[in-house]
Amino acid sequence: MYEFVSGPLVWIAFIIFIGGSLYKIYHMLSGAKKDMTLFRHMSLGHSAASLIHWLIPFNNQSMRKRPIFTIVSFAFHICLIFTPIFLLGHLILLDESLNISWWSLPEGVADWMTIIVIAGCIFYLVRRLTDPVVQNVTDGSDYLLLAITALPFITGFIAYHQLFAYKTILILHILTGEIMLIAIPFTRLSHMLFFVFTRALFGSEQGYWKHSKDW
Amino acid sequence: MKPTIAIREPVVDDLMDQTEKSLTEDQIEKVINEVIDQETGVRLQTYVNTCIHCGLCSEACHWFLSNDRDVSFAPVTKVKDTIWVMLEKKGKVDAAFIKRCSQIAHTECNVCRRCGMYCPFGIDIAYMMLVVRRICAKLEMVPLYLQDTVNSHAATMNQMWVKPDEWIDTLQWQEEEGQGYVPSARLPLEKEGAEIMYSVIGPEPKFLAQLLGNITVIMNVAGCDWTMPATAGWDNSNMAMYSGDFEVMARVERLHHETAQRLKVKKIVMGECGHAFRGGEYDGPTWLGWMSPPIPIVHAVAFYYDLLVSGRIKIAKKVEGPVTAQYPCNIIRNAGLGSKLRYIMNAVCEDFVDLVPNDRHAFCCNAGGDTINCGPPWKKIRVQSARLQSENFKRTGAHTIVTPCHNCHSGVEDIVDGYKLGMHVKFFSELLIEAMEIPEDLQA
Amino acid sequence: MINSESWDWECNKKMVADTSKWKDQFEDVWEPYISSDGEKIASIVKVGEGEFNIAVNKETWGEEPFEKIWYSRFSPDGRLTALITKEMEWTMAVDGKTWEEMYEYIWDTKFSANGKVIAATTKQDGVYAITVDEKTWECPVKLESIASHIISPDGKTAVAIAQTVATAEADVNAFTKGAWSVIVNGKPWNDNYVDVYGLVISADGKNIAAEYRNSICEYGILVNGTPWNEKFGCTWEPVFNPTNSDEISVPVRQEGQWFLATNGRIVWDKGFVNLMYQTYSPDGSNIAAGVAPSFAKWTIAVNGQPWSTTFNECILKPSFSPDGRKVVAIAKDSGNWFLVVDGTVLGEGCDNVWPPAFSPNGDKVIYKIEKNGKFAVAVNGEVKDKEYEALWNPVVSPDGTKVMICGVKGGKYYRKVVLLSDI
Repeated sequence: MYEFVSGPLVWIAFIIFIGGSLYKIYHMLSGAKKDMTLFRHMSLGHSAASLIHWLIPFNNQSMRKRPIFTIVSFAFHICLIFTPIFLLGHLILLDESLNISWWSLPEGVADWMTIIVIAGCIFYLVRRLTDPVVQNVTDGSDYLLLAITALPFITGFIAYHQLFAYKTILILHILTGEIMLIAIPFTRLSHMLFFVFTRALFGSEQGYWKHSKDW
Repeated sequence: MKPTIAIREPVVDDLMDQTEKSLTEDQIEKVINEVIDQETGVRLQTYVNTCIHCGLCSEACHWFLSNDRDVSFAPVTKVKDTIWVMLEKKGKVDAAFIKRCSQIAHTECNVCRRCGMYCPFGIDIAYMMLVVRRICAKLEMVPLYLQDTVNSHAATMNQMWVKPDEWIDTLQWQEEEGQGYVPSARLPLEKEGAEIMYSVIGPEPKFLAQLLGNITVIMNVAGCDWTMPATAGWDNSNMAMYSGDFEVMARVERLHHETAQRLKVKKIVMGECGHAFRGGEYDGPTWLGWMSPPIPIVHAVAFYYDLLVSGRIKIAKKVEGPVTAQYPCNIIRNAGLGSKLRYIMNAVCEDFVDLVPNDRHAFCCNAGGDTINCGPPWKKIRVQSARLQSENFKRTGAHTIVTPCHNCHSGVEDIVDGYKLGMHVKFFSELLIEAMEIPEDLQA
Repeated sequence: MINSESWDWECNKKMVADTSKWKDQFEDVWEPYISSDGEKIASIVKVGEGEFNIAVNKETWGEEPFEKIWYSRFSPDGRLTALITKEMEWTMAVDGKTWEEMYEYIWDTKFSANGKVIAATTKQDGVYAITVDEKTWECPVKLESIASHIISPDGKTAVAIAQTVATAEADVNAFTKGAWSVIVNGKPWNDNYVDVYGLVISADGKNIAAEYRNSICEYGILVNGTPWNEKFGCTWEPVFNPTNSDEISVPVRQEGQWFLATNGRIVWDKGFVNLMYQTYSPDGSNIAAGVAPSFAKWTIAVNGQPWSTTFNECILKPSFSPDGRKVVAIAKDSGNWFLVVDGTVLGEGCDNVWPPAFSPNGDKVIYKIEKNGKFAVAVNGEVKDKEYEALWNPVVSPDGTKVMICGVKGGKYYRKVVLLSDI
């Protein structure tokens, strides 16, 4: 089982994640060509300006209005992306199998980052359960996506600390990580891929076409 | 997903009630799928698939904020209750659902695009509301009074059933009114080759003719080479853009632009109206295949800014006391004229008290995007849902609110009445007429 | 057509009137108009408080001024018309003489091709009508409004789009049933429609066509009151073949694209983002139209084939040379106007360009342009005769050897005739 999930399934997950993402982006761009105005209203400068304003915390009105959400969101997303990429454990595996490696996070830091991701998921969960607006637009799929996001980190945390059933948890960790990768292009987790484009479009339409700003 | 609980007082809208009875589910399914398949595309798909249901857009919406954070008014809820269901059920919905869609998209959303500015992904929710409106319009599910203005546009090419002779007659009468200030003033009709074609919206000749007299004075004092058409094509407004009847929208915009082309003018200067600017500058040209209007359109705010900066109009006596201004969404958030509006306000007012929030973050008057044109049945909820902006006005302590937009003007008048603010509501040109210097050689 | 053979085609330059003097003579002088033959220039002038007259060359229109005058236009036969008011009532004045009848209102003067027939929309006692040479339509139904009207080249047929049914305020149902129709010489077509647009009469005056709208996204074409079987998502105004009044071409919209349809059938296989201003060649064998092959790229398509040159702002109505071999159009790109012949841009960009006159074989196009507030005559892209304060479209003589250029320079109005070869 371990051999399978940590071997072929990793390959399959990455192939689906990368291939699926590329396909989704290709599909979107080729569809965008059919929209006669979409590209004509885009501008690189205004896209970049919009992205800069929305990728730096508190650099727009929306984020300033909700400081706690902003802090949690930035912390969550930074940890979500960087922890798995710079985790020593992952890099050792990578080095063993492909003989490539890069800088890794100190283990203590990575541990805290994992906790931040889990805490972020709890924050989002509580928000989904308590904020009336969010609650109203939440269904099973939203909880599922939250679970898909949280599980690799929860299992990773348990496995790292070897709290119980190490082998089983490790398999679960790898498996949930793979599920998450596979889910990204095909669920609303694809906002990871698409937010750049939607942001760039709105930024361009507001800036280039309508001579205003979107932050 | 559980349906949203939306508590509303029952509203009688004769057309919507009638359409609800006559619509069949086959018709509905056909139209929804036709619009989704043929008239939308990757933009809508990506918006729907990218939205993470975070609800951050709600903080942007004055409907939500003015109604004590009633969930049913949040932008994301409006999308959930319309587009999501249509997509999920592949168009298999009933007439009552379509009626609710029209209520949401036509009467409870100003397509002001503020929510797009608060969505972390820049999802243009107003665009989705316009898709809903398009579907409703194709099913003839449109609020009665709004449909009537669209019918007027379709038949007369103006918004208010103004007949051709009434139009010309009004201009000739207002030329005389202008001559009360400047005896030599002229309102030149059909003058080919003038630099400027001045265009207005239907309600000006119908109810607010004095504004035409004002512009006659301003143009003559500023020494502008201008003209107004004596044919259809004079009305720059466009309620068909908002109802979802894009073919009528395009015909109206085409005529407006072709009238300017026929008169061989260099630019169109338009009166103080926001949605008309949107129709003339953005939505109309886009449907017709123009990147921008072939004859440039200058909104009154930008025009007055130019006249004041260049010194063609000088201010004799500034307006006294605190004065504030509404920032019309379609020329500020969606056209970037905020700093010019502040400039002209400071130029004519001793004490311009700015709104908080201001500029592109300012809230809608809640009359824009067609909602005021939905008429008396929908007025109560519209004014009720402008509470936030009424509080913003009150805080300024101003005696007058300037509204460089007709929708804003009527909407703010309703706010002033509804919340007993005791403020005057004026167009900028009314202030300018009071404050400007009329050179001695032009005086009566 | 105007018979221009009788005009003075001797090569000369005459100063017809010193219009600069008008400014001293009168309180106010409005923009001038000239007669087709260039022999007369006229301006509405203010002679006193609430007193207006028209200055024509060295004269004025009679002794007695009018309370108001507007819309002074020369008929193609050289008579000067204007709309005037006396004691709060309106009428038409022709060469200073008013029509006998007075109206609540009168507007939108139109002429037959030779200018002999003068028509206008009138309103009397709340009833709208077309008045042709002082004779007002007697229509069996009360016309609630007239949106627009046209008259046939021979002046025998006057047609209007009119509201034939009174509708109460916000009576959407009455509107949807149809309240508008086409009125031909005072007689309405049998049916009413939701909306009627794009009225045209064939060159021989026999047939009348218009667009109509049944409901949102349901448009069609009416010919003499009978609709085509085909319906479209939208249409633009139809055009008759000049040599065959049974053939009508019209831009139609289907599934988000515009096509050209002739007598109901789509004849250009390629769809466009937009398609407008379809124009037949003089012999009726070719059609040119303004098209946008893609968003914000405008050009002319001849028989469905777009030119390779495109313009990013707009294109205006094309025209054919008299021999039908060349197509010209005015286009705008990046803020400048250009004249384009068969896809080739002539000369530099201008602030404005007017439709050209052609030499008989089409090798020369002569046209009015505007640059930096002054007007000039350009020939094949070269600016020739410059520095006019006002200028009218050059006219080529019937024998095709000369061109008449009329314009104001130094406050004086000149009419000159020069050899085409000299310009």
